[in-house]
Amino acid sequence: MKLLEVKDLRTSFFTHVGEVKAIRGVSFDVEKGESIGIVGESGSGKSVTSLSIMQLLLHPGRVVGGDIYFNGENILKKSNKEMMAIRGNEIAMIFQDPMTSLNPVYTIGDQIAEAIMKHQKLSKHEAKEKALEMLKMVNIPDPEKRIKNYPHEFSGGMRQRAMIAIALSCEPDLLIADEPTTALDVTIQAQILDLIKNLNKRLNTSTMLITHDLGVVADVCSRVVVMYGGLIMEKGTIDDIYYEPMHPYTMGLLKSIPKVSSGEKQRLIPIPGTPPDLLNPPTGCPFYARCNYAMRICNQQQPPYFKSENGHHESMCWLLHPEAPKVESYELLKGGVRIGK
Amino acid sequence: MVNNNSENFIEVKNLTKHFVKNKGFISKRLEVTKALNDVSFYIKKGETLGLVGESGCGKTTTGRTIIRLYNPTSGQILYNGVDIAKFNREEMMPYRKKMQMIFQDPYASLDARMTVSDIIGEPIDIHNLATGKEREERIFELLDTVGLNKDHASRYPHEFSGGQRQRIGIARALAVDPEFIICDEPISALDVSIQAQVVNMLEDLQKERNLTYLFIAHDLSMVKHISDRVGVMYLGNLVEITTSAELYKNPVHPYTQALLSSIPIPDPDVAKSSKRIVLEGDVPSPVNPPSGCKFRTRCRYAMDICKEVDPVFKNIGSEHYVACHLLDK
Repeated sequence: MKLLEVKDLRTSFFTHVGEVKAIRGVSFDVEKGESIGIVGESGSGKSVTSLSIMQLLLHPGRVVGGDIYFNGENILKKSNKEMMAIRGNEIAMIFQDPMTSLNPVYTIGDQIAEAIMKHQKLSKHEAKEKALEMLKMVNIPDPEKRIKNYPHEFSGGMRQRAMIAIALSCEPDLLIADEPTTALDVTIQAQILDLIKNLNKRLNTSTMLITHDLGVVADVCSRVVVMYGGLIMEKGTIDDIYYEPMHPYTMGLLKSIPKVSSGEKQRLIPIPGTPPDLLNPPTGCPFYARCNYAMRICNQQQPPYFKSENGHHESMCWLLHPEAPKVESYELLKGGVRIGK
Repeated sequence: MVNNNSENFIEVKNLTKHFVKNKGFISKRLEVTKALNDVSFYIKKGETLGLVGESGCGKTTTGRTIIRLYNPTSGQILYNGVDIAKFNREEMMPYRKKMQMIFQDPYASLDARMTVSDIIGEPIDIHNLATGKEREERIFELLDTVGLNKDHASRYPHEFSGGQRQRIGIARALAVDPEFIICDEPISALDVSIQAQVVNMLEDLQKERNLTYLFIAHDLSMVKHISDRVGVMYLGNLVEITTSAELYKNPVHPYTQALLSSIPIPDPDVAKSSKRIVLEGDVPSPVNPPSGCKFRTRCRYAMDICKEVDPVFKNIGSEHYVACHLLDK
């Protein structure tokens, strides 16, 4: 059974200058025990998607359409009280900046115990014991002593571990990680990613990893959703996306990252221009203005999703239409992206 | 460093920077943060030297000390053979025109109350390079160089995107026609698709104007891409420096090996097959660094000698310098 199903989700921010359509119809699903990556640039709608699922959108943001099914139930129809029982218990979230998401005046142990006591019928003493167990699980050295520390006594990597401990303390079915390693150094990032991968396996938690880093996704996830301008441009397995990308935006992203292992110096191929303004989103494909292969129809009509032969790889691009002209350079690009090799 | 080549455009010798903070309220108690210890390297004319390392390793302090935003505690900074480490404000003035800096945060490094033309014009005014019509033309020319246009000159920074702001920052650095630019994490605040635009532009400018870069970043794949040589720093010390191809092919220092293995590679097959060296723990505090080799607390190969003796920089062939006791074994 599908754990999470997002169907045609639309979220807007009603600002004084007008309606900013941050998400304009996003559909994807997460299976039990699976890790899915959501990739996109700032403003592509990836964080708003996760906040919409958690129903943590602040004014003036509002979900204006679509459905979100979690364990078969439409959580958009739930009251705030019902959501409170789900948040932290069945769906947990970790954020980019661990310092601003931890409370500076409570000890780490109190904060983990708070989450446990909120959702489980345990005494304070039992909750503290569970908190200690959680700190051990996320590999905090010397946990008996550290449990009494305040967030400022922890380093950045340890704070993120504490956040993961809080998020996993109630054994959620789904863990949403919004850029969990962006604020950390690469060596600490490696530690945290290993931790998320291992816990995922051990607890059979599904993970939704939101990031702008294609390298992180390749390491942790099995499926990828590529977002741009509030829409999903392409989705598929990691092999689909990295080795057979169908959308010019995905190809552009992969081409604009330098290759670590290549010997000689190669020039990067950037994507020209800047992302669209979602106050007045383009009627057609949001990538139209930056696309090398844009046709007239791209500016007029939003393309539908075209499925590849393997059935699990979908992309929103007019070039995939059976009647679309065969563009030679595009055909060449399709199979030609192999970053690490 | 041993290299005594007179071609060395920038040469840093035993540069040390300690920040001293008075911690005592009544009694004098000083806390010394050892941000840079005995760092030596050179940059040749027209070359790009990359500096990498984790936050707090001293890479930004190195850049800021070279450009004399900080006064070095000891050591020499040779610019074209002239030691500028102890120059006063007035003596520094001509060098400020030759050296410029591009900052990390394109939101914080531009004054929100100044128009773009004022921002780019300010260094021109300070160094009395042009006035009136000539000044205006020069600003337009600079905007054109960085891919913006004339109409942008009268606007304010908030009207621009992150990538465009970074372009304004670059135009400001270029306004005085510098020879040497310190790029302090110039792309880390930008989106992936915009990063490549800015990096390509920096490369083109270097070719056109024969610029020399010190490129500071924590994104190792981008540093490899842009740099001719790369230096790796750890807790205020340089631990390895060599050409970028050699460093990524043949890393010798255990820290470099761990750092390189933790780069996430955007290729699922490689990511699955590659073995990662995960370092335990965090970087120690520079206020109270470990004795001997600074990396020994996290090193897989730490020996007794590492605790007692500071490792010295050794040339292991073809301009590849490493500071590690393992080389003596």
